[in-house]
Amino acid sequence: MKTRRLTELALLTGVALIIFIIELRIPNLTPIPGVKLGLANIITVYAVFRYRPSETAMLVACRIILGAIFSGKPDTLLYSAAGAFCCLLGMLSVRKLIPAHFIWLCSVVGAIFHNIGQICAALAVMRTTAVLSYLPVLMVSGCIAGLFTGLCAQLLLKRLGKEKPNHPT
Amino acid sequence: MNKKLLALLIAVGVVFGISLVAMLLGMRNSEKRMVVITQDNQVIHKIDLNSAENQTIRVDGTDGSYNLITIRDGEIFMSEANCPDQTCVKMGALRAENLPIVCLPHKVVIRFAEEGDA
Repeated sequence: MKTRRLTELALLTGVALIIFIIELRIPNLTPIPGVKLGLANIITVYAVFRYRPSETAMLVACRIILGAIFSGKPDTLLYSAAGAFCCLLGMLSVRKLIPAHFIWLCSVVGAIFHNIGQICAALAVMRTTAVLSYLPVLMVSGCIAGLFTGLCAQLLLKRLGKEKPNHPT
Repeated sequence: MNKKLLALLIAVGVVFGISLVAMLLGMRNSEKRMVVITQDNQVIHKIDLNSAENQTIRVDGTDGSYNLITIRDGEIFMSEANCPDQTCVKMGALRAENLPIVCLPHKVVIRFAEEGDA
């Protein structure tokens, strides 16, 4: 990997971590667990469209692990890792279909997969289907949050990139 | 706009729509009055809110973790827990069947009883 690319990825990881930690400080709008904006996902969406899948995966893995350590909640690592892994899979698989002004859709797809991943992790840990009843709530809030972060990422890609976002080398 | 993108849009729309309907259906206040408290998927208390006296139930975990569950005036809520996120405490009283009070770190769940609960 070229040094330039490595530096860019490291910078993006740093930015994502800062966003993640600032977001932790914002009180939850709802008492429902798992409902949050996920602003750090802006960086993930940006990376999905600008970098290779393997590079994006590295970025997300670093962000998740360091995020769990910095937030002081290492026990949530399993949930966030499962969510992020599914989210990334979902976004990477639809990336090719999506033109530049539909990037928000990619983020919404990512949010849907993120929730599926988290619920699967909760199912595995809790071994009860009671957690399944959270899925609709998480889906609705996730789609709205995904739309928001996706639009942010779309604006970011439009302004930051001179090259077309759909062609990571 | 090509067909695949359209299909994706519709799929996302359908998922969102179904979730919205399921969420609204699930958020209605439950008529049920039988409540169970489970720990590690085992039912440890079964309570009839109509007849239960005001009380506080302590649920201890194996590693020093605990949850205090309070019943007051026919409502049940998590009043205290030594978990890091406190989400279960912030959820307030149990109202809807599809929104059980869950303490993920301690694997404690308060929900309305279903058929088959011992």
